This record gives sequence, structure tokens and C-alpha cells, in this order.
Amino acid sequence: MKYSFPREMIRSELEDIVGQHFVSVEETDRLVYSTDWSWMPQMWLDRGERLPMPDYIVHPGSAEEISEIMDIANKYHLPVVPWGGGSGTQGGALPMFGGILLDMKRMNKIIEIDEVSLTVTAQAGINGQQLEWALNEKGLTLPHYAASAKCATLGGYLAPRGTGTISTKYGKAEDMVMSMQIVLPTGEIIRTPPVPQHAAGPDWTRLWLGAEGTLGVITEATMRVEYIPESRLLRAVLFDDLSKALEAGRRMMTRRLHPFVIRLYDPASTKTRVKAILGYDFDGAYMVLGFDGDPDIAALEEEKALEMCAELGGRDLGPEPGWKWWNHRYDFYYPPINLKLPWMYGTTETITTYDKIEKLYWAEKKAVEEGFAEWNVRFIGHFSHWFHWGVMLYSRFIIEEPPQDAREALRLHNRIWNTAMQAVLANGGMINEHHGIGLKLGRYMRKQYGDAWPFLLRLKKMIDPNGIMNPGKVGF
Amino acid sequence: MTATRLDENILLTADNCRYCLMCRHVCPIGHVTGLETLTPHGWGLMIASNRRGLLTWNDESVFKLYSCADCGTCRAHCVTDQPLPETIATARAQVVEAGLAPPAVGRVAEMLQRWQNPYEEQAPEPVEGRGEVALFVGDEATYLRPGLLDAALKLLEAAGIRPVLIGRGRSNGYVASSLGLIEIAHDLARANLEDLAASGARRLLVLSPGDFFAFKQLYPERLQLSLPDSVDLSEVTVLLAQALDRGELAFEPLPPGPPHAYVDPSHSVRVKTRYDAPRKLLAAVIPAPPVELFWRRERTHPVGSTALKFTIPQFADHLTWARLGDARQAGAQRLISEDAGTLKALGDHAARFGVEVLSLYELLASQLR
Repeated sequence: MKYSFPREMIRSELEDIVGQHFVSVEETDRLVYSTDWSWMPQMWLDRGERLPMPDYIVHPGSAEEISEIMDIANKYHLPVVPWGGGSGTQGGALPMFGGILLDMKRMNKIIEIDEVSLTVTAQAGINGQQLEWALNEKGLTLPHYAASAKCATLGGYLAPRGTGTISTKYGKAEDMVMSMQIVLPTGEIIRTPPVPQHAAGPDWTRLWLGAEGTLGVITEATMRVEYIPESRLLRAVLFDDLSKALEAGRRMMTRRLHPFVIRLYDPASTKTRVKAILGYDFDGAYMVLGFDGDPDIAALEEEKALEMCAELGGRDLGPEPGWKWWNHRYDFYYPPINLKLPWMYGTTETITTYDKIEKLYWAEKKAVEEGFAEWNVRFIGHFSHWFHWGVMLYSRFIIEEPPQDAREALRLHNRIWNTAMQAVLANGGMINEHHGIGLKLGRYMRKQYGDAWPFLLRLKKMIDPNGIMNPGKVGF
Repeated sequence: MTATRLDENILLTADNCRYCLMCRHVCPIGHVTGLETLTPHGWGLMIASNRRGLLTWNDESVFKLYSCADCGTCRAHCVTDQPLPETIATARAQVVEAGLAPPAVGRVAEMLQRWQNPYEEQAPEPVEGRGEVALFVGDEATYLRPGLLDAALKLLEAAGIRPVLIGRGRSNGYVASSLGLIEIAHDLARANLEDLAASGARRLLVLSPGDFFAFKQLYPERLQLSLPDSVDLSEVTVLLAQALDRGELAFEPLPPGPPHAYVDPSHSVRVKTRYDAPRKLLAAVIPAPPVELFWRRERTHPVGSTALKFTIPQFADHLTWARLGDARQAGAQRLISEDAGTLKALGDHAARFGVEVLSLYELLASQLR
């Protein structure tokens, strides 16, 4: 495309920083970077509509280069949108107002693997699976097994506070962070403290976890890693009743067993997704349990967990259906067996405490299914990230025959989400647990935080005075 | 045969892949360029967008369409076996039909039409004789590593096999197919199958996984041509490894030398059961444990033996440098492989990385007992 004089000036200045090969203004690149993994832009393109596109796609090679890019962005008041793997589901990486899109994948080096302290330090643009392979060569693992690991970057794990499939034992990505290097919107390159647990003032490291690139760019992170476990045990249990299954999970967690996974599918998910992907035609709630580590301890914990399940009527299905889930746990995300266009779908996942979770589940399900019955909406869910105090509900809505008109479809999508979020907030849930806020959920931030929201807005203003960082996201 | 005949599945696959990111981690071009556009998702989205009128084929977009290495790694890692490489080849065929292909494609087409190979102005050799076993030689083994064939024949003879040579100096059709030259690819494949028929062989041996892929998968899927059911296809390395297991072959081990690594050739990922055979053979002549490259076995990245060297040589070089860099990182000072195209690409740049490149067949033949 032919660029105007100011655009060519800015392009030239960006090329001066990173080199000509690492700035693109080509139409094909601008199109491809105009969408991430969220339903909204995908649907928009599917219907033949055009999306906002970045003006410049820049591939920085260092924090210093990003710092210089920030100078340009501030000078010309250009948006800066960090981009990792583009696997976000909330539109967090969409260049809504054009500007500079920072593709971080050139910053993909492993800086150090510390086999004494069990940490890895890597640049934020490294691909998650490639990082995992490198750790595996040394008998180590980063225990953040996200479904997006094959495409997401390390920075993308952290920016939205991601959660992986074995989080129940090992924590969320944010729990694995030792320290980070960050380029602030004003260009300063800072490092957070070298260890996460200390008493040297407030824990400001966490400001950038969940900021989704609105407060700066994570350029490097040191993460806690683990030895690859000596053994893994997988098992499946079937409950007639979702309520009893939830109680079984609660007992395991509050009595301090250490499952690396409790994956509980509601009856609707069991009957559809589990059947479609794993081939089991079960009536009820299908629960996968996993224990790992020392073989004797893992076996004992599994035995105790199965006893708790049996007390509540859970039927032990044996190891095979557990292993099948484990071996195929990412198959759920491959086309054409995943949720895909032209369907409409959304993941309205949430988290709350055990005393509220079941009520929240039924309230959200009722609100969505009854509120949009004319669209034959289906509401399904699973409970997959368990804590000692509560659990995450991975709830989804699906419409197989949505409106074909892009604008009408987008409005319906938003209306369903409004309904779901009202039910979530009314029942003590958070508007999100691990996908992040992005573009989709920004409008609920004020409702989520009430009087605390203006404080967050002031914080944003202080850190990013010109509002250049990822505008329109996280409610900012 | 026209591209539009293969058009029916193109939109379905492109639509499936356009928003799927599950093979990003293994895409070699995505890895060496870091560009979102040059990943399976990017190519799927480009093709799907072209069909929706959101992207036109022009010099810039066609360059990106031709940036895929057609290495098959994305499909090899796809749980649902989406044939994206085949879809990209079909999209390229449409670009060729529309007269929008890069000039390099025209030059390759001219060579292939006239000489049936893109390397030398020399016609393929006709089939001589008949026999139970045929060996497809192809163009890369003929022109890129001339000593390879003699070594392979010496090894086969030691195993009691004297094959009829077919396709000597002729492309297997992969390069043409990959570039969207569908008619030419079809003609080459048909000529190779006619050679096979003329040989009377019921067993077809090939020297590389690329050739295995061509006969096993490319011909039926992209060109609607098939090996006769009565013909058994296998790689020479697999056959030699079996002979070694049975004690029919023996080798004199080399004296201890610098660290070495086996390089899985381009297209290895398309032949999932072939990883151990060449390693077993290599261990017979170099007993010291090899170092393993990071990009190995099921995550092998291509080096040489793709059409990129004709269309976007800088990307082909990047892939080669990445493998050599991988070797240096792993501490390997000797790299061994059996595929002529892989050996040629590695050999052209090896000195810069301080490594030596050796041909597996030649190494084995030199150590035959």
C-alpha cells in the first residue's frame, strides 16, 4: 500500500530502531494480525467484513529496542499493542485503533536454566511448547500446561494470568513467576525483585500480571520449574449428580490432597464434548482425577480420593478413561471437532468459593438458556481449576445457527455475555478466571471493582500517561 | 488436470486452519521468520480471505503464499489430519493458472518440462532390464550428490539385492506439485510409474523420506495417481537396518572421532515409522552415542529438498542455518544424513558453522565388511 508522508516518516523511524526487515506495512500481514483467537474478529472476517488493522507490525529484538519504540509511540501518540501467539480468546491483542503492533516472537531466547534452584529465564516471545521441550531435555517441566501451549508465548502466559490443565497442584502461570523484566510505556526498562516471596514493600510485581499489555511490555521472565514427575496416575469417576461431584472435589481440596488435575464435566458437556472427542457416552458428570510424583504417595492419594468419591456415589471407571482424557486433552481444540464458525460460542468462565459455585452454575445456566431460548442456545461447563477455597467454572454458550449478519451476530453475542456476567456478578463470581479481560470484558470492570475501579484508572494514567498501551483493553 | 478440479476441499481445509494455532510450534518457516503470516494459520487465513474477497493475489501476497516450505510438519502434528500443505499447493496451482506465480516458478516449469528435473539440462535415463526390485533414483541423488547412488547400490548388493534403476535423473514430481505446477507434476509422476511398470518390479525402494512421501501420499492425494497395490514401497535405510538386524550386513566401526549427530532429512515427519532405522545403521559404523539435535524426529525441520531453494532461496538458507545452528548448539561436529538434497544444503553452508557433513550411504559403504 502507498503510505502518506507522516506514515512513511514513522515507518522509517521504526526501521531505524529494529531494521528494515523487522517492520512490515504489507497488506497481507496487516490482515493476518487483525484477528486473534477470539470469536468476534473471526466471525467478522468469516462474514467477509474488514477489521481494524495495525499500521506497523514491528518485530523487536530487545527490551532496548522496545524502549525506543515507546519513545516514538509517545511522540506521535500511537497505540502499541503487544502480540505473542495471538491465542487470546478475549480480543486482548486486537489492534482496535491501529498503531504499532509489537510481535514479540523474535525475542525467543532461553537465557538460563538453573538446575539448582529449578528456574528458567527466557525472553517473553518464546513459544510455550518449544520452551517445554528445552526443559524436558533436562528432565524439567514448566508446569503450566495450557491448551494454548503450542501457540502461546511465555509473555502470553503471564499477561492474562493464564491457567493450565495441571494448575490444581502447580498453580497458575502467575504463581510460577519469580521475576520479570518489563518495558514501561514511558520507556524505562525495569526488573521486578528477583524472588516473589519477601517483605520489601508491596508486591508490585503482580501489577503486570493480568494487565494484558496495558501497563507495559513483559520482555523477560524467570519462572519456577519442576522435575518431570516420577509417576502419573490418571483415573475417571462418574457421578449421577453434579452436586455430589462438586462436593467430592471440595473434600479432596479442603482435606489437602494434591491432585494435579480434577476435571469435572457437567452432564451437558459429558453428553456432548466428552462424547464427541473421547467417544464415551456417559449419563452424568464425568470427572478425571490425576495424581503425580512419588509413586507410593500418588497411589495413596488416589486411593483416598476414590474413597471420597465413593462416599458420594461416584463410580470408579478405572484408569483407561482417565488416561484417554489426558492423552487427548488438547484434541478438543482442533478443527473441525472444536467449537468453530459459523457457530456462535463464548467462554464465560468464572471463579468463586465453594459455598457459591453450584448456585452460580445453575443461575448462569438458567439465565443464558432461558434468556436466549429462541436461538436454541446450549450452556455447557466444566470445573477444571480447583483451589482450597473454591473452583473455576469453565462455562460456555453455543448457538449452532446464529444470525448471518455480522452486526446482528455481534450484538447477540454481547447480549448473551451481558446476561451471563450479570448472573456471575450477582452470585459472587469473578468476571474471569484465566482467559483475561481483553476487549470483550472491559465493560464489566467497573461493575466488578466498584469504588476500586477509579483507583485502577488512576494507576493506569500514572504508568501510561499518554494512554498508548493496548487501548480499549482491560477496561482502560 | 486443473487446479479447479482440486478446488472442492480447499475452502474447507483453509477454513479449518485459518483460526487454528495448534501446529504453530512446529512450523519451520514460522520459527525462522517469527512472522504470524508465515505460519499454517496465516496461510489458511490468506487462502480463506482470498475466497471471501478480503485479499487479492498480488506480488506481495503471492510471495507469502509461496513462503510455505511444504514440509508436511503441520499436517503430521494435526490431530485431525488437515491437509493444509495440499491446500496450499492447490492455491498455488490457482495462482499459476491465473498467471500470477513468481517468475522463478516459470523457470522451474521450463526446466521440468524440457528435462524432467530442475538441475541439469539432461534427460532422465531410460529403464534398463527387469527385476523383482526397483530403486527410484530421482533427480537430487543424481545431480546433487552423485556418489550417493553408487554407495547405496553397493550396500544393497551386500544385502543381496540388485535393483533395476528407475527415474534416474527425473524429479519425483514433488517440486512441481509444491509450486502449483500440477500438470507437470502429474506428467512426472506418471512417467515414474511407467518406469516402475516397465521394470516389472513388485518392490520399490527409495533413497529418502521425500521420495517415500511422493509415491505413498503425494501421488494419490495431489495427483490422483497410485502405486499398484501389488508393489511394496520401502526406504533403503529401513531395508538395510532389517538386514543388519538379521546379520546379513556387517560394518567396520570407525575410530573414535568428534561428536556426531544424525540429521533427519526433509519430509521425515511424513514417514512416521522411519526414525530409528538410519540411527541404527549409523550406530553400526560410529558406536559412540550421537548427540541429538533439538529439531529431530517428529519435530524435524526441513533442510534442502523443498521448492523454496528455487522461489525464496533466502528462506531455504535460513532453514539450513537453523539446522546448522542447532547442531552447533548441541555440540555436534559431524552431521550425517542420507538425503541428497539435505546433504547438499547442509554441505553448502557447513564450513561457516565449523561442522563436517557426511553421507550416510557413503559412510556405510566405506565401512562394509
